Amino acid sequence: MKAFVTDIQRFSLTDGPGIRTTVFLQGCNMHCPWCHNPETIPMKPVELFYREKCIGCGKCAEGCTSGARVMSSREMTVGDVMREIVQDKVYYAESGGGATVSGGEPMLHPGFVAALADACHAEGVSVAVETNMSLPWQTIRPVLERMDFIMCDLKLNLTIPHMEQTGVDNPTIFNSIGRASKLGIPMVVRTPLVPGVTDTVENLHAIAEYIAKMDNIVRYEVLNFNPLVGAKCEALGVENAFADAKPYSAGELAKFRDALADVKGLEVKVG
Amino acid sequence: MGKIHFINEFPAERRFSYDERIALLRKRKIAQTEEKAKAGGADEDDYGLIEQDEFHYKLKPNHPNGSIYGYKAWSENYCTILEQHPIYVDALDAFTAKGFFFLERLRPAGTKWNPDYAYPDLQAIFDRYQVISGIDNCHHFTPDLQIGFEKGWGGILAELKDEREKHDESHREFYDAEIAVVEHIIAFIRRAGEEILAFAKEERNAQLAENLRTMGEIDLRIASEPPRTFREAVQWSCWFSMVSRTYNRGSAGGQLEDLFNPFYERDVAAGRLADDEAVFYLACMFLQDSRYWQLSGPDEKDNDRTCHLSYLALEAADKLNVATNLTIRVHDKIDPRFFRRSVELLFKNKQGWPRYSSDKALMDGFMRCGYPKELARRRVAAGCHWMCIPGMEYTMNDTIKVNLAMVFEVAWNEMMSGEGEKSAEALWKLYEKHLKIAVDATGRGVMHHLNHQTKSQPELILNLMQHGLVKKGVNITDGGANYYNICIDGAGIAVAADSFAALEQRCDVEKKLSYGELKRYIDADYAGKDGERIRQMMLHSARYGGGDTAGDRWAVRISKLWTSLVRDLVKQHADDPRHVNFIPGLFSWSNTILLGSLLKATPNGRKAGEPINHGANPNSGFRADGAVTAMCNSIASVQPGHGNTAPVQLEVDPMIANDAEGIDKMCAMVRGILKSGNTLLNINIIDAKRILEADKDPLKFPDLVVRVTGFTAFFAMLSPKFRKLVVDRVKSVNPVATTSADGRAVSMKPPQR
Repeated sequence: MKAFVTDIQRFSLTDGPGIRTTVFLQGCNMHCPWCHNPETIPMKPVELFYREKCIGCGKCAEGCTSGARVMSSREMTVGDVMREIVQDKVYYAESGGGATVSGGEPMLHPGFVAALADACHAEGVSVAVETNMSLPWQTIRPVLERMDFIMCDLKLNLTIPHMEQTGVDNPTIFNSIGRASKLGIPMVVRTPLVPGVTDTVENLHAIAEYIAKMDNIVRYEVLNFNPLVGAKCEALGVENAFADAKPYSAGELAKFRDALADVKGLEVKVG
Repeated sequence: MGKIHFINEFPAERRFSYDERIALLRKRKIAQTEEKAKAGGADEDDYGLIEQDEFHYKLKPNHPNGSIYGYKAWSENYCTILEQHPIYVDALDAFTAKGFFFLERLRPAGTKWNPDYAYPDLQAIFDRYQVISGIDNCHHFTPDLQIGFEKGWGGILAELKDEREKHDESHREFYDAEIAVVEHIIAFIRRAGEEILAFAKEERNAQLAENLRTMGEIDLRIASEPPRTFREAVQWSCWFSMVSRTYNRGSAGGQLEDLFNPFYERDVAAGRLADDEAVFYLACMFLQDSRYWQLSGPDEKDNDRTCHLSYLALEAADKLNVATNLTIRVHDKIDPRFFRRSVELLFKNKQGWPRYSSDKALMDGFMRCGYPKELARRRVAAGCHWMCIPGMEYTMNDTIKVNLAMVFEVAWNEMMSGEGEKSAEALWKLYEKHLKIAVDATGRGVMHHLNHQTKSQPELILNLMQHGLVKKGVNITDGGANYYNICIDGAGIAVAADSFAALEQRCDVEKKLSYGELKRYIDADYAGKDGERIRQMMLHSARYGGGDTAGDRWAVRISKLWTSLVRDLVKQHADDPRHVNFIPGLFSWSNTILLGSLLKATPNGRKAGEPINHGANPNSGFRADGAVTAMCNSIASVQPGHGNTAPVQLEVDPMIANDAEGIDKMCAMVRGILKSGNTLLNINIIDAKRILEADKDPLKFPDLVVRVTGFTAFFAMLSPKFRKLVVDRVKSVNPVATTSADGRAVSMKPPQR
C-alpha cells in the first residue's frame, strides 16, 4: 500500500493530544485559497522552486543539490511511514500522543490510511486523523472507525455558500460530522479564522451551537489565521490570495472567545 | 568601576520585605553585570564575581617564567591575598562573601604547567589530533560541604595540626601549606565579621543595620565554629565558595536538600525560621555565586528526595531569576507537582534553568564501571555536563577533549595520499587506528598530569572537603581521593559521522562523484559555483539526527569505538596504585569554535574553519522539521553509557508551552527525552526574535540569561563568538528552510487546512 507523502513531521504539538508524528498526504478535493499547504492540493507531486536557495550553478537538469528545486512529495509504503512513527513511541506514551494523518485530504487515500492505522495499533500507537469530512460517508466511515481521535474542519455554517470558497458543498460535511460523533470517538472540530470568509461571530456561533448538541465533541477550536504561506505560493508560482492578511490580535481573539462564551456544553479554545 | 560597600543607601525609616530585598538585589546584580560586560565580559559562568578597582594583586612568582608552582608558592600567594582582600558588604543581602578574581588566572599566559615536567612527545600527538589534554587544568571535581558543616574551619585546622604530628617529613610541605591556608581563611572571615559589625554602626536604616549586625556576628562565629542554623550553614557555603573560587575557581554545591534540609527543619521546628526568610537566604545564595546545585532525585531507598525545601529553592530561584545552575534529577518516583512546577518556571522565566538529569541512565552507566548502587546515587550534577561524588572523586571533568573530527581528517588525509582502496569502510579502518593513537596518548597525558600536578598546582582548598584526604596528608592527585574516575570527552561526533555517511551515500552507493574529485573540492574548500553545488549535495546527505539514517548509524559506530578505546585505558594503566578509571563522554563545552578553527573542509559539506557540532548534538539543519524527538533519540543512541554524559542541548520556542496543555506536553517531552536513554538535558527557552535583537545590542538586554553549553550566563557578558554559538542554535529551532535533507518540500505544518 503506497501513497504520496509530502512530509512526516515529528514532535508535532498541535495535531491532537500529546506529542505526535503527523503524516501529510498529497491531494485534496477542496481548493481553499487560504490553504497553507497549497502544494498538497494536486493529486500528484508538483515542483516547488525556492529562489533564495538557488546557487545559480545552471545544472538543474542534473538534479538540484541545494534544495531550491524540490518535489512536493514522494511515494512511501505504510512500512516506510511506520519506520518514522515508531521512533517516538516513548514520547507518545509519556504524553498520551500518537500519530496523526493529515493532508491534503487523507480520506482520498482511505485504504492507505486504514492500513496505516492498523499498523499503528499493532505497535500500540494511538492514531488520529485530520479530515475535511467532505467525502462520502461510506468511504470515510471504515477509516474513522479505526481512529482513536478525530479532528475535522467546519469552515462555514450552512447559511454561507461553501462551494465557491472551497470547491465543495458543505451539507455532506455537516451530515458526516453528525454521524461521526456517534462513533464513540473523541472529536475536535476546528474553524480557521480567514479574513472576510470565516471570521464573523455569526458564523462561529452558528457552528458552535450546532456541534454543542453532538456527542463526543471534546473541544471546538477557533484557529488564528496563519500567514506563513507566502514562500510556498512563490515557490509554486501561484498568487497568494491572502498576501496582505495578518493574524488576529490578542484583543480580537478575545472578542471571538467572549462571543462564544454563551454556548453551553462546549469547551471552546480560540487562538 | 563598581562599588563594594553598599551602606546608607536608603532612608532610615524605610522597611523592606524579603521580596523587596530580592528585587533590589536583582537590580543591583543586573547593573553589575552591565559593568562586567562593559569591562570585556567573559565566556563562562558568572561566578558572582564583582568588577572592582579597590584591590589588585601582583603575583609573587617562584619561577623565572613569572609563575608559581608547588605547595609553598601557592599557599604564600593565596594567604597574602586573603590578608589584603577587601570585604564586599551589601546591607540588603543576607550574606557577604563576594570574590573579585582567581589566583590561578594571575599567572602569565602559557605558564600553568611546571616546565620541569614538560611532555613534548605527547604534545606532538595532541597537536596532530587536536587533543585538549587536561594537563595543567585544575579543580573540576566536587567538594563535600558536609565536612565543613560538621567540623567548621576550626575543626579542620585542628585535624590538620594533629595529623601533621603523626606524619613524617615527606608530608610536612602539604600540612604546612594547608595549615597556613586554613589559618588565613579563619582570619579573613573573622576580619569580615569585624568590618561588617563596624558597618552596622554606620548604617542609618535600623532594619538593615540589624541585618548587618547579625551577619557580622555569624561571620565571627563560623570563622572557626561549625554552622548551627540554616542561615549560618548557607553563609558557610558562601564563604567556602568564595575562598575556593579565589584560589583556583573551583566550587560546586551538591545535593541541596541533603546539605541544608536538616538545618531548615531544625530551625522551623524551633520556631526561628519562616519560609519567606528561608527563600530569601536561598535567593541570596544563588546571587552570591552561580555554582551548581542538584534538586530532587531518589534517596538511598529509592524514594523521592523532594521535600518542602526543594520547592523553596525553586521559589527562590524564581524570585531572583538570574543565572542559576539548578539541575533536577528526574526519576520514576519524582514528585509530579514539583517536576511540573520546575517546567513551568523554565518556560515562565526563559533563563535556561533548571536543567534535567536522568537518575536511571546515570546510575546504570556508573554501575557499569563496577561501582555499587549506593555510590552511583551519590554522584550529583556539579558542572557543565558532569556528575561527581562530593568529597570522594578526582575526575578532571570537562577538561579533556579529543576532536573526533580532526581524527577523521588525519585518517582522510592518509587514505587520500595512499594508493589503497578508497571507500567509507577503508577510511573507517584508518579512523580506528588513529583514534586509538589519540586516545592512548590522552590516557598517558592523564597519568602525566596525575603524577606531576602537585608540583604545578596543588588543590589546597578543595583538598579540605575530601573524605579522608587530611588523614592521608597528600594532594588529591597523589592518592588523596577515594576514587579516580577520569572524564574523557569526544567532540565533533556529528561532523565525523555525517562525513562518513556522506561519503558512503554519495561516493560509494550513488557514485555521484569519485573520492579523487571530492578531494579536489575539499582541498579548494568547495570554492566556486561547482564547488558549492557539490557542497550542497554532501550537506544534504542522510545526517546524524535525522532518525535511523546512515548518519545515525555512523554516529553509533563512532560512539562504540570511542567508548571501547577509552575504557581500554583502564587496563593500560591498571598497575597504578590510584586505580585510575577512565569514563567516556561526548561533550565539546564551548570548544566548538576552537576545535573547528583548525579543521579543513569536511565531506559533510562543512567549510574550513567552521565550528564543529555542539557536544553530542547533530549539526545544524539535521532535519527539516528540526524535530526535537528525532534529535534526542539520536543523542540517546550515542551515549557512552558509563556514568558520564553526552548531553542534549535543546533550544525551544516559548510559544510551544504558553498554556497548561503546553506545559503538560513539555513535561512529557522532558520525561521522554530522559527515558529514552539520555543522561542530561540543557534547555534554552528562547524567543528567536529577542535573541537576535540582543545579539545586535547585548546591553539592551542586560538581564537576558542563556544556557551556553552546560552553564548559564548573562548573554551580554559573552563575546561575539560565543553569542554566535547560541544564535546559530536558536536559528535552527524553527528552521526557515522548507526542504528536507533529501530534497523534498516540507509542509510548514499549519494547524489550519
